Amino acid sequence: MAKAKKINKVSDFFKSIGGFFKSFAEAVAKGDIFVKLSLIWVGAGYAGRKQFIRSLLVTILQAAVIVYSVLVAPQYISKFHNLGEVQMEMVFDINTMKNVPNDYDDSFQILLFSVVSIIIWIVFFFFWIKNVISAYKLQKKAEKGEHINNFKEDVTSYLNEKFHITLLSVPVLGIVLFSIVPIFILILVAFTNYDQEHMAPTALFTWTGLTNFINLFGGGGMTVTFGYSFVRVLGWTLVWAFFATFTTYFGGILLALFLNNKRTKLAKLWRALFVVTIAVPQFVSLLLVRNFFANNGIANTMLSNMGVTDFLQNIGLLSYDYIPFLSAPGWAHVTIIMVNIWIGIPYQMLIATGVLSNLPVDQIESARIDGANTGQIFRHITMPYVLFVTGPALVTDFVKNINNFNVIYLLTQDVFTTTDQYLANSQAKEVDLLVTWLFRLTQEYYNYKMASVIGICVFVICAVFTLVAFNLMTGKDKEEVYN
Amino acid sequence: MTQKGKTIQLIKDILRHVVIVLMVSVWLIPIIWLIATSFSAYPGRNTSNFFPEQWSLQNYINILNPTSHTVNFPIWMWNTFKIAMAVCIVCTLFAVMVAYATSFFRFKTRKPLMNVAVILNLFPGVLSMISVYFLLKAMNLTNTHIGLTLVYCASSGLGYLIAKGYFDTVPRALVEAAKLDGASQARTFFSIILPISKPIIVYTVISSFLTPWTDFVFSKMILNSGIADMWTVSIGLYNMLDRSLINTYFSQFCAGGVIVSIPISVLFVIMQKFYVEGITGGAVKG
Repeated sequence: MAKAKKINKVSDFFKSIGGFFKSFAEAVAKGDIFVKLSLIWVGAGYAGRKQFIRSLLVTILQAAVIVYSVLVAPQYISKFHNLGEVQMEMVFDINTMKNVPNDYDDSFQILLFSVVSIIIWIVFFFFWIKNVISAYKLQKKAEKGEHINNFKEDVTSYLNEKFHITLLSVPVLGIVLFSIVPIFILILVAFTNYDQEHMAPTALFTWTGLTNFINLFGGGGMTVTFGYSFVRVLGWTLVWAFFATFTTYFGGILLALFLNNKRTKLAKLWRALFVVTIAVPQFVSLLLVRNFFANNGIANTMLSNMGVTDFLQNIGLLSYDYIPFLSAPGWAHVTIIMVNIWIGIPYQMLIATGVLSNLPVDQIESARIDGANTGQIFRHITMPYVLFVTGPALVTDFVKNINNFNVIYLLTQDVFTTTDQYLANSQAKEVDLLVTWLFRLTQEYYNYKMASVIGICVFVICAVFTLVAFNLMTGKDKEEVYN
Repeated sequence: MTQKGKTIQLIKDILRHVVIVLMVSVWLIPIIWLIATSFSAYPGRNTSNFFPEQWSLQNYINILNPTSHTVNFPIWMWNTFKIAMAVCIVCTLFAVMVAYATSFFRFKTRKPLMNVAVILNLFPGVLSMISVYFLLKAMNLTNTHIGLTLVYCASSGLGYLIAKGYFDTVPRALVEAAKLDGASQARTFFSIILPISKPIIVYTVISSFLTPWTDFVFSKMILNSGIADMWTVSIGLYNMLDRSLINTYFSQFCAGGVIVSIPISVLFVIMQKFYVEGITGGAVKG
């Protein structure tokens, strides 16, 4: 059933696009001279119905797009196929007696402005079609002798029935500029050799096809280590996301139940004390914890005073004279998950407390009357209910943990150094998540091409996981049970 | 209940509270350590004792009266505050605008737009950051506060869902009545919907105000020039624990951490309250 619905949605989408082009064709075929003229001059349709200001505004827009397309866009688009050829060089200028850069190509500017130009053209294309359609609508209105808005009425309509357009325009523009354009650029960079040796603007970079992907997935050559590192880092990322999500999730629910119990005194006070730990910003609490567990830190001093360190050495679990909480693989992995429990459970507890306050009380009461004990009620009523309400959150939490930059970076950066040569060659560490690896690649090694490939991989993993998980959950159609 | 049953219940209750107290103390150890160290007379990391041997207020005095250029806490606070104010105004406006449009209007592109928002939200923020970094670099906005503010604000339109959920509970009759009285949509929005949406607006205001205070990644990425006067609190404090500085500044770091945490905790608690109110309360019951 869910599938049929989905197919419907998709076909609806194509139908509406089809409808859009159909009304365009109709407008062109049945439109009068003004409508036909507006194919070339976008203001024609409005000017023909005496909407001169509106006509002027769209004409200015058209002129701006044409000027941009003729004067600005070609110098970038024409070089898009190889991202520029002229390397930056310093040339001696006889007039100023100084070295000045030549007229060089900036590969990154070429990439960026090409993307921007293409987006502008696509948007303008749709605007152009829409414009012809509305010109035709005006024609029909005029034929029927209906009232045609003057400019002032047009403006007020944007504060009234078209108010949503006014509201949405600026936020959508922001999203396009800062989400969509960057994503396109990220995807494109993955197919280039943009790295430290090809840093724009001083050096050129160019298209390299699938080379980066082949390197990442273990194709041969000099960068065989990237394939190895990718598998290692991905493995730990998934293990981490699994443990980080489930420990805090169930821990939070149990803690909430425990504190919610009628027999718990001062529940509010305990809850507040737990919340204090998450109210402190993470860069403070995590950096502090990292020093707490440092090799020569306070935790080690206390444990060695208690004799724990000696004990571990004696039974052969430890080869150092301190416990490498955050500096050796294995130990660090466990510590990170533990610290995450510390930081994550209060948060989940807050959410679970909110959910539990809406428990189906009647069901629990009647179950109790029927003789169910606490354990049965928990298993058959409380837990299924909580799972149903917070299930989607569980999925998004997993995705968030795949990208949990703060915990890993703040705990291990500058503390953990890898001894694995292969990992070190590709600037990865045993404790890295894909995102922290990506961050280091861009910030410290300027290896944008590999970072982009990893970025695409992370996105694909998150997207596939989310879609599959949501499909499984909605597939069961449990909604009616609780409504 | 029998005498025996009562005793067992009492033991159970005592056990329950012992467990809770134990857990709370484990959870509070780092916080207590933070506060204790911030009053330590020893500037570096105390690795032999949990509590400082000598207490002093010097760390607070030092961090509020900076003498060096590498550590300038008041300036970091001021920078973060400026950015937070800008972010909070823009983000709240954007989120409320998008929420109102998608909740109260039915237009053709509504569903597609919301679907695109879902997909974009899937694209994690930390990832888009490297692409946003490219963009800011091209516009010469890296290492500026404007650039950082833009990053925080830019996609804030996507954070409309909570506010939309709230608007969805506002009875439509209210809007209809306003319409009959001749109010335009814009007027309805400003003088009817906004005033009754206080909980959710307060929530949005506080949560966006807190973003720059709690964020670490974006500021680290955008303000990476190493000029200490440009930094926000998070990178500033992070840098105080640099290997060359940690032995002089660890206690001051703790003092700084306490100073930042107090307002953040207060706002956080208020935000939680309004969040619950906004989610469960609804607006005007129809």
